[in-house]
Amino acid sequence: MSRSMNASSLKRKRPESSSANGSLVDADRAVFNVIKSKEDMGIWTRDIKFETKLADTVVNKSLKSLLSKKLIKEIVNIKNKGRKHYMAAEFEPSKEVTGGAWYVDGNLDKELIGVLKGLCLKIINSKKVATVEGVYDFLTKSKVTTFDCTNQQIAEVLNSMVLDNEVIEVKSTGLGEYHSIPIGTVCYRIAKGAGLGESLKIGAMASIPCGMCPRISQCTPDGVISPSTCVYYQKWMNF
Amino acid sequence: MVSQHGIKLAVYLVSSFYGDHNSKVCECLLRRGTLTLAQIIRFTELSREIVRHCLLALIHQNCVQAFSIQQEGAFGEAPKVVTHYMALFDNIIHHMRFPKFIAIVKDELGGECEKVFEALLQHGRLSFNQIVDREKQTVSKEENFDVDHVKESFNKLVNGRFVERCPAPEPFLAPPSDEETPAKKRGAKSTKVGDVSESIEQRALAAAAPMESLRFLAETLNWSDFSDKSSEEKFTSVKTGEKRKQDFLETDGGLLDQDEKKEVLWRVNFEELIRRLRHQACIANAKSRLNDECGIILGAILELTRSSESKVNIGSTASVSINDIYDEVIKKKGGLGMNLERIRASLVELGCEMPMLVEEYSIDLKSIIDMAQNEEVESIVLKRYGREAYRMFRFLSKSGRLHETDKIADTTFVEKKDAIKILYKLWKDDYLQMEKVTVNGARQTHFLLWKVNRQSLCQHVLDEMYHAALNLRLRIAHELDQEKEILQMPKDKVGEVEELRKRYMRLKKVSIIYESSLMNLDDALMLFHDF
Repeated sequence: MSRSMNASSLKRKRPESSSANGSLVDADRAVFNVIKSKEDMGIWTRDIKFETKLADTVVNKSLKSLLSKKLIKEIVNIKNKGRKHYMAAEFEPSKEVTGGAWYVDGNLDKELIGVLKGLCLKIINSKKVATVEGVYDFLTKSKVTTFDCTNQQIAEVLNSMVLDNEVIEVKSTGLGEYHSIPIGTVCYRIAKGAGLGESLKIGAMASIPCGMCPRISQCTPDGVISPSTCVYYQKWMNF
Repeated sequence: MVSQHGIKLAVYLVSSFYGDHNSKVCECLLRRGTLTLAQIIRFTELSREIVRHCLLALIHQNCVQAFSIQQEGAFGEAPKVVTHYMALFDNIIHHMRFPKFIAIVKDELGGECEKVFEALLQHGRLSFNQIVDREKQTVSKEENFDVDHVKESFNKLVNGRFVERCPAPEPFLAPPSDEETPAKKRGAKSTKVGDVSESIEQRALAAAAPMESLRFLAETLNWSDFSDKSSEEKFTSVKTGEKRKQDFLETDGGLLDQDEKKEVLWRVNFEELIRRLRHQACIANAKSRLNDECGIILGAILELTRSSESKVNIGSTASVSINDIYDEVIKKKGGLGMNLERIRASLVELGCEMPMLVEEYSIDLKSIIDMAQNEEVESIVLKRYGREAYRMFRFLSKSGRLHETDKIADTTFVEKKDAIKILYKLWKDDYLQMEKVTVNGARQTHFLLWKVNRQSLCQHVLDEMYHAALNLRLRIAHELDQEKEILQMPKDKVGEVEELRKRYMRLKKVSIIYESSLMNLDDALMLFHDF
């Protein structure tokens, strides 16, 4: 088949593509169907090409056309931020794609997390001991935040603070400070030393250069890296 | 199984305390396991005489234990009894903590006992007469020497279990098929082929140990140093009796002078000292993690239950009544103002459950030790790998099972692309285990799963600590070597020159920092190995 015949066959199809949504050209329809079939997960450009078996240039052209018609949208996939992903316009990206409530444009919203952590710390500090519900209720009633957060999000923030050793997780005994909390309920209190500017207790090994050294496995008494030539020891003793 | 750097540290300590020949013999035993005299001579390439002297010295200093076993003769020869030697790694490492042991004895029993105790540490083994002779030499001519004072100090040490009778120098281990009584089976943990050498060494230690009834018996100081148990083993299980015993003492590496056996020999009881240090560590942990009151109460319970501890690393203390705890607490500094309610509240903080019927409490010491170990490891992770690594490590450590990368990143609020890098670094340095899982669906998807394996992690961290302890010692030696000229100068000359005085002051400061760091690190070593 000659190039001119190909050109004319394409020309014949062109009038159809300029009409409304229901009359996409075959290539556009094929690409759109593949994208739509992935619903809220979206699909990577290369996968579109693989599934439609269309040439690169055809797919790229179809994508441009579909975007201009606002039938599809480009999204950021948290797992592969460098790759172009597309989704049908009527879907919202799933948590797996966006990374969840804590992600904005594929990046962790550290500012939001930091703000919530600070608020939780202040609430637990003032109450001495608090449950997830207690912190959540305080936040929603006091309206200190300009955004909505869920009970689940507060639980995730508190869990992260436990991992940071800023708060400790305990179970209510129903006595003393726990009198308003049912026995056995998980609650949180400030970890000893936290929130007062005191740093975590440093262990014996971590207090010496060897404890922090990334090269300890290569260190030998007579080697290039050795205790007698160690620059970390040198710095440690520079006073 | 001793780690590589544990062996290096032990060898360095023996070299520092007893010289290079002794350290060579020790290294041979530590690396190759239990050996005969002939094997040691072959591997160390030292002369027979030197090796014999070294073994004598190391046995005397409680760094080596000898024992004899019957070996089948080759090519139709009659079986013969051969002496074997095993290195006592723990006792060698204890040399690093002699100052701590001395401090415990001085605090509890005073300066007079401290002197006797220090003599035993220095000399390894002494009879009571040797202790008296040594004390006589230290007393000046003007002072009156009173043997009763020495005897009183000695008895205090024995009654406090800081000093014990020495084990039998060379117990005979009958072949396993000949062992009938439960007491003899106590030492044998396994009859599997792979475990034979381990059980032989444990059997040797059990056979050498004096009976509990004699171990701290100070009254009969003239009895034979062989316990009834070890004597019984020798005379009932060795069919040819006395003659064979004498043969192996003289020919197959038996080193002991017969005269030494006439007097009871005494040595420091490391087990009791490690027990005291374990208690101190638990109390310190309770104080820093909870509060001073919890530390006082825990101290009181440990004081009450110490004598009932059958071994050092018990899981929980014996149960004690609330009234006994109260009586002990009010005797302690800071405990006078406590009442039963406050004691109960502190016991709950220490992890005790409220008792149902009889009000008795027991403390889970293992959980305190585990928490202290976790704090130590997490501290290393924080310092070496950063805050995000710390959070991820703690998540995996608390969970105790495998988790996928994204799950870890989500839970700990770490960017997914950073999470994989940090986890990989922790895995490469043996702080995490990793597994790859492939899921075959429309496309093959690979997942990485991560986990903290506590047992292998603790062994790895312990080895790093041995390495760090050796490094600190080598660094101290290096600093002293760099300034040896100043150390050899008279002090008044050093003081005259500003530059020399500065260097001397720096060296003094540096030595203090290194020594105190070493003592702290040693606490961590005991936490992972002895407690």
